[in-house]
Amino acid sequence: MKLALRDLQAAFAAHILGEGDDRLADSVMSDSIDAAARLRVYRHHVFHSLASALASTFASVQGLVGEDFFRTMAHAYAARTPPAQPVLTEYGAAFPSFVADYQVARGLPYLADVARLDWALNVALQAPRGAILGIAELQAIPVEQLPAQRLSLTAGHALIASPYPIDRIWAAAQPGASPDAVDLDTGPVQLLVLRREGDAAFVALAPGEASFLAALAEGSTLEEAAARGLGTGPDFDLSASFARFLGLGVFAASHHKSPEQKV
Amino acid sequence: MATAGIGLRAPHLAEIERTRPATAFLELHAENYLGGAPALGAVERLRRDYVLSIHAVGLSLGSADRLDEAHLGRVAALVDRLQPAHVSDHLAWSVTGGRYFNDLLPLPYTEESLDVVAANIQRLQDALRRPVAVENPSCYLAFSHSTMSEPEFLDALARRTGCGLLLDVNNVAVTAHNLRLDPAAWLDGLRPETISQYHLAGHAVNDADGEPILIDDHGSRVKDTVWSLFAETLRRFGPRPTLMEWDTDIPDLTVLLDEAARAESVIAGVLREAGREARAA
Repeated sequence: MKLALRDLQAAFAAHILGEGDDRLADSVMSDSIDAAARLRVYRHHVFHSLASALASTFASVQGLVGEDFFRTMAHAYAARTPPAQPVLTEYGAAFPSFVADYQVARGLPYLADVARLDWALNVALQAPRGAILGIAELQAIPVEQLPAQRLSLTAGHALIASPYPIDRIWAAAQPGASPDAVDLDTGPVQLLVLRREGDAAFVALAPGEASFLAALAEGSTLEEAAARGLGTGPDFDLSASFARFLGLGVFAASHHKSPEQKV
Repeated sequence: MATAGIGLRAPHLAEIERTRPATAFLELHAENYLGGAPALGAVERLRRDYVLSIHAVGLSLGSADRLDEAHLGRVAALVDRLQPAHVSDHLAWSVTGGRYFNDLLPLPYTEESLDVVAANIQRLQDALRRPVAVENPSCYLAFSHSTMSEPEFLDALARRTGCGLLLDVNNVAVTAHNLRLDPAAWLDGLRPETISQYHLAGHAVNDADGEPILIDDHGSRVKDTVWSLFAETLRRFGPRPTLMEWDTDIPDLTVLLDEAARAESVIAGVLREAGREARAA
């Protein structure tokens, strides 16, 4: 039976995803290589290429579990959640939560958080590199207006918290890393992921720093954010942390909103 | 002067920036440069010294759903930004029902498909305000209700839309083997004036139920059968900008440049042969 093109494409997609659609069988020519074997070439390539794309984005996850384990997990994800568009660096947003629910990986409770870190680094890398708030621009703001400032964090930033030392686990998963054991009981971490000039990277934050930046990211004023940071305990040193963030290029230029600019 | 170009791949980007090898052009995959990653900055710098070709792999010109306008807009913005000498995509589809399969999936060659693909090419050319080239895919199956051969279909697209044809010689060899066609007869179906570019790459030989099937994996040097078919193609249609592609197990840049140099020597050899024949006649 001749399928209309739209139906043929839907049937082909269903076949690739293993959704039990056999409408294609009559449409594909067979000879010494039968239709099923010919269709298998496409199905194999689709999953192989999508798993490769996920392996590139989630390289640390693959480093931790090995290629065979990763490909099986990636194949299962791709079958459930194929890409919605063709830019593969933007594919995999739901992979960390898939990993969290992946029963076979339940012995590695930190794996989903490492996947979140890989994803955040990938998103940061693809973010446009905008101008950074510098000392001079900051100094141009009258001191009495500083507490009411709302500073934007640079595009592509992410704050990631985990009960596991995923910064050290991530480092141990990189190619060529020394195979030292990481103690999982060293306490929670809070990380800031940033786009830098030629790459993306993360730094570890003290609890007060994480609360301070989270408040700014939510649109709080400097004064409100400082109060949030100080609320975590006496270890938060506002001026030292603020200087650190300026040095890291955490804040975006020209996006600070003074009270006068708010309309 | 270089007459063959190379596919620009991420592992080679830094070395190309540093050493600026002689090559006729650099071809990049559109979908790899649509974010704001640092690689786009590198390509913008290379653009000053190299002719660029933008080869899209995800427009899905064969989709019955029509083109994804959001993706088309992003590709158009990249073309506008980089001003490449060539823009191309494939005679294939990869999107249906909002799902993208990251493969060049096959089309039945029917009047209905011709209407769909021609309309999509026209939409693309309208959005880019320039003609594009459409590449023949590697095929692993044929549909029983096709009413045209692949070259007939490609030629009809060129007539209807004014698009060029990007003739991938490796894909002709792969398709002809897998679908039991004669590659020379396949080439008979095209008119020289429609062909704007050539592609060359390696393929793998896999086993399908005990029968060899050729897989277009771009993972090795060009096979001897493909070099012969390339020479035959040049004798029929003449030289065109020629690209050497390598995507799996990407080798050192020198290997890729060496393959491109071999393509240039094949082109030069066929031109010499044609010159001798012209003098003898």
